[in-house]
Amino acid sequence: MGKMIYSIIKASEEPTQITEVLSGLRGISGANLEFVQCADIIAVTCSAERKEVVADRSNTLDYAGVIDELSKTCTLLPVRFGSVMESEDDILKMLERNYQGIQNNLDKVEGKVEFGLKVFCDTEKLKSRPEIFGEENIKIFDKPPGRQNNSVYLDYVNKKLIEYRIEEALLLFVNSVIKEITDCCISVGANGKFRKMVNQNNIIDALFLVERSKTNGLIGVVKELQVKYPDLDFILTGPWPPYNFVDITIS
Amino acid sequence: MSENKILFSTGNLDGLAEDIGKMTDTEGSKLKLHPDNADSGLAKLVLTLVELIRKLVEKQAMRRVDGGSLTDEEVERLGETLMKLEMKMEELKKHFNLTDRDLNLNLGPLGDLM
Repeated sequence: MGKMIYSIIKASEEPTQITEVLSGLRGISGANLEFVQCADIIAVTCSAERKEVVADRSNTLDYAGVIDELSKTCTLLPVRFGSVMESEDDILKMLERNYQGIQNNLDKVEGKVEFGLKVFCDTEKLKSRPEIFGEENIKIFDKPPGRQNNSVYLDYVNKKLIEYRIEEALLLFVNSVIKEITDCCISVGANGKFRKMVNQNNIIDALFLVERSKTNGLIGVVKELQVKYPDLDFILTGPWPPYNFVDITIS
Repeated sequence: MSENKILFSTGNLDGLAEDIGKMTDTEGSKLKLHPDNADSGLAKLVLTLVELIRKLVEKQAMRRVDGGSLTDEEVERLGETLMKLEMKMEELKKHFNLTDRDLNLNLGPLGDLM
């Protein structure tokens, strides 16, 4: 029987207390949770066969539920779903080999939680309102100069050129919103990661690592941004375990 | 995980619901190959790649037109080529019963292909 790892936590408590915390939780398919300790770091595990660890809705929710509950009381590094090792001994060796990297990451996320900020808009509606992009970009709707006697091919190029300029202006607009979000988040010390134009409607997908105590500050920032950009829909989710702020390759 | 994780929203959660729907419904972005539909499954994959490249070429071409580095004759030829390429793509999509949406693969956390 192998061992599936849920997360690696900082052992700031006595082993008996860890046992107590874990006894109140159940892993995937109701499995009992166990732990493997190496100095002051602990891997939270359960017994599982590799072939049984199917990434279906039920298992992934159970798995995320364990990490979410632990993150409320511990500093932790979530481990990718389906990470199964042969034995406790293998996990111990892995913790020993990667001790420094794990410690560095635990220090980075200590006392912090992750938040997701998604910004949606109807891009087609936005494109039809040039003033949204700022006055300096309104010229994008001008007919390209110097081509008065258009053939069908030139008309086609002009149409495509205007579409291209609108796309570029939309990108400039998205960049300006990202800059605004970044500037506003300085006040809550948020460390952000951004992806833009995820799809036609999701123009910004941002992640923040913030001290748990500053949660209300971040909500306030997002409310202000919503007022400033009424054409956009801001959705803030969290707090999440720091899924996207762990940077370690386990050897 | 039972608690509400949405800390702030305007109440319009349609975009979020669509995103989650796309993530959980992977059927649309799967290449379904079996003996009965080998040609259409492969056509979807090939046309997706062709469409991606066509759009990249078109974008690069517009960048050059916008930069003003092409003569009127070159722009005319470019327009003819791009227009014919688009028409050919439409024909192929129609032939294989594919829509723009079919060719825009959902790459999960990376977002849409195009």
